[in-house]
This record gives sequence, C-alpha cells and structure tokens, in this order.
Amino acid sequence: MPHNAGYYHAAYIIVAVVYGAYALSLWLRLRAVRRKHDQGSNGVRVD
Amino acid sequence: MTTQFTSDVRAPAVASPQRTRSGISWWFIVAVIAVAATYIRAIYFTPLEAIQGPAQKIYYVHPTSAWVAFLAFGIVALASIGYLWLKDLKLDRVAESAAEVGVVFTSVTLVTGSLWGKPIWGTWWTWDARLTLTLFLWFIYVGYLVLRGAIEDREMRARYSAVLGILGALLIPFIHLSVYLFRTLHPMPIIGKPSRPSLPNEMLETFALAFVSFTILFIALFRARYRLAIERDALDAQERG
Repeated sequence: MPHNAGYYHAAYIIVAVVYGAYALSLWLRLRAVRRKHDQGSNGVRVD
Repeated sequence: MTTQFTSDVRAPAVASPQRTRSGISWWFIVAVIAVAATYIRAIYFTPLEAIQGPAQKIYYVHPTSAWVAFLAFGIVALASIGYLWLKDLKLDRVAESAAEVGVVFTSVTLVTGSLWGKPIWGTWWTWDARLTLTLFLWFIYVGYLVLRGAIEDREMRARYSAVLGILGALLIPFIHLSVYLFRTLHPMPIIGKPSRPSLPNEMLETFALAFVSFTILFIALFRARYRLAIERDALDAQERG
C-alpha cells in the first residue's frame, strides 16, 4: 500500500481552514455592517 | 386614530432585518457537529483503499464539495431567472449569496482534487476536460463576483450578473458528462451513475455522511451570506437617505 497519508491530511486541514475562514469572514463582515448601520442610526436626529 | 410624525426622516427602502443576538445560527452548530462527525468517521472508522492508500480518503471531501458547488450555482441560475422575470431584489440577493459560497466550495474542489492527483496521477494538475471545465466554472463565478463589485447601479448590477449567473450554470451538465463525452484522466463516477454505487458499504456510509454534512454546511453559510446581503442593502439604503 502506498504511503501517501500526508496528502489526505493536508486536504482535510485545508478544507477545515477554508470553510472556517470563510465562516469567520462572514461573521466579521456582518459585524462591520451592523456597526456602520448602528452608527448611521445613532447619527440621525429625530426632533 | 391618527399618528403624527414630527420628523422628516424617510424610512429606508430596505427595512433593517431582525437580528439574532450572536449572529451564529443553529444551522452552523449542526454543520460543525456534522462535519466533525464526518472527519472522525473518515479518519478513524473507514478502511483504507488497497490500491490508492490513504490518499483515497480525499474522496470524502472532494466530490462532496463539488456537489455543493453545483448546487450553489444551480441556485444562482434559478434565482437569476426568477430575478429577470419578477425583478425582485430578494432573488438577486439569493443569487449573489449562492455564487459566493459556490466559489468557496469550487476552490476547495480544485485544491483537494490537486492533492489527490499528485499521489495518484503523479501530477498536481493536467488539462483534462473535467478539470479544465471546473477551473473555467470557477473563473466565471469569480468574474460574476467581480462584475457585481464593479457596477454601482443596483438594478443594472442585478440584471447583468443574472445573465452571467445563468450562462455559467450551463457548464454544470457538461462538467458532469465530460468523463463520458471526452477521453479524460478523471475517474468515472463511482456513485452518481445510473448503475449501483461501486463502493463498499463502509465507504459508502462515510460518503453519505459527508454528503449530508457538507450540504448542511452550505445551508449554514448560504443563510449567513444572505443575512449579510440584506443588512448591507439596508445600510446602503440608509446611506442614500
């Protein structure tokens, strides 16, 4: 049997890192948009 | 009863969406558990294939990612057709969200395929029909996202990208059938074929688990991306006044 476990270990790590990083990017972008939205809302004066 | 408004502040065109407290949905929690279960089963409880060795285990993450990418681009096409017909910006947001998630899954498909190709074929890449068409699909949807970023006008952006989104998805049947239509190095389907799957039951069960868990992960990511699109549109509407 060939000894090529390194390739599948690399693949599994890359899969976890890419999907994890993308999920994190979504969360960070959402947080940034919400912060801007809140700043905008607070800046509007309703007399 | 009448209500008098003392302010001239106009309501935004897109209502601010309801927010979850943390932004983390139950879909994410289920997806993380399902993907972790897939990893544990694939690594510790699935036998090694005798000829390919451990590299065969890439199979549990490679075609499953490809399936999700095709699902995502299929959604892009359907939502784009719907947008051109109904002019509903919700459908444009669906297409945009599915396209971005689809590009991520296609990237993973290309990288994991390359990691399988090196030990089995002896090369990281070959200009085989299926590989080349998949790379082309990736470029089309990266182009789709670039196009969206380049057009300011909301309606024009939705219309142009809908056309590209539909055209890109036409490649999907060709990619699936490419192994039949051309002489390719890429293996024939083991599961997605008219006859019975040619995998032992233990491997088939692991593949089924991976298939379900990656689909759940797609739903979680798609929902999160769609929520971002809604809130970004609400912010744009607020900034426009």
